[in-house]
Amino acid sequence: MSASCFEAFLAKLYVDESARGKFLADPRGEAMKAGLTEQEVEDVVKIDRVGLDLLSKSLERKRRRRDVRHTSVCRSSRR
Amino acid sequence: MSLMTRITDRVGLGWRPKLAAGILSNLDRIDIVEVIADDFFNAPRRERRALRTLAAQSPITLHGVSLGLASSVPVEPKRLDQMARLCAEVTPVSWSEHLAFVRGGGVEIGHLAAPPRTAATIDGALANLARATTIVGVAPQVENVATLIDPPGSDRDEATWVSEIVRGSSCDLLLDLHNLYANALNFNFDPVDFIARIPAESIAAIHLAGGKWIGAQGARRLLDDHLHDVPDPVYDLLAETAARATRSLTVILERDGDFPAIGCLLQQLDRARQALAHGRARMVDEAEEEAAA
Repeated sequence: MSASCFEAFLAKLYVDESARGKFLADPRGEAMKAGLTEQEVEDVVKIDRVGLDLLSKSLERKRRRRDVRHTSVCRSSRR
Repeated sequence: MSLMTRITDRVGLGWRPKLAAGILSNLDRIDIVEVIADDFFNAPRRERRALRTLAAQSPITLHGVSLGLASSVPVEPKRLDQMARLCAEVTPVSWSEHLAFVRGGGVEIGHLAAPPRTAATIDGALANLARATTIVGVAPQVENVATLIDPPGSDRDEATWVSEIVRGSSCDLLLDLHNLYANALNFNFDPVDFIARIPAESIAAIHLAGGKWIGAQGARRLLDDHLHDVPDPVYDLLAETAARATRSLTVILERDGDFPAIGCLLQQLDRARQALAHGRARMVDEAEEEAAA
């Protein structure tokens, strides 16, 4: 698998709650299913779980703040 | 010419709409203003005119947040065209972007993510930086990012990875000292050693910011949220950098929200000037000692 596919795997892991849940339940299986190389599978199996949890929550908070800002801008522009 | 006559450091603030009045009424205490370039890519004509007016009043530097240059995926030319147009319009003293990836496989991460620190992402970053330099016409300064997760798949440490990109490109380094401080605390390395290992001659700009601790006891990380004042150890790192950097530095304080009174931000700029002066004095002392030896 190419480096760009590995980045794509990480991007999905960071932002997609369902994909992250499946991965955390079976890291090796999900990594292999995604077609990662043997080395990449080993790398994600020993992923920094504390960091993954905090990063995904932080990204979720950012998304919610952006959505609220977007909604309030839309509302005020309709006034 | 003496060491210090060649060096003219400047200290400024990141432009945010809520800080506009405070910035415009204190331009005599703000040497340079950093503007988030992406905010103006699709801005109405009125806002771009306002940016040109600001650029006529103060030196400005443009800061990109969404190019995703440190990736094995080629940066989209359309995004670089937008940066090129804005640079042509406001003639900043410099422009910068992060050593981050921000999307992959059609998924937008919505933030700056640290890529795996590998040869592949170094090669990808160097190719993207060459594209950016060609299209924009000027090489960007590249910034180290904060990360809450130890980037999976990395085979080298951050100082090595950043140094290889800076040495392999024509880019200067924008050293974000709060990002460095946070990563050092989160992943247990010495930030002073990091500063000693990166090419001192490439450091051209500095970011300062604050953050907060998140996570449960025993699993805490320092989040670089730009919502808090600059902590004392970051000023110490600024002095350390000033003692080593061989070129003039542009220092920018970034504050994205929970804005204090402008006076509080100006005080932080003054503290940055003091730290710079302290570091530069140390640099002169060490140069004189070396010459006398």
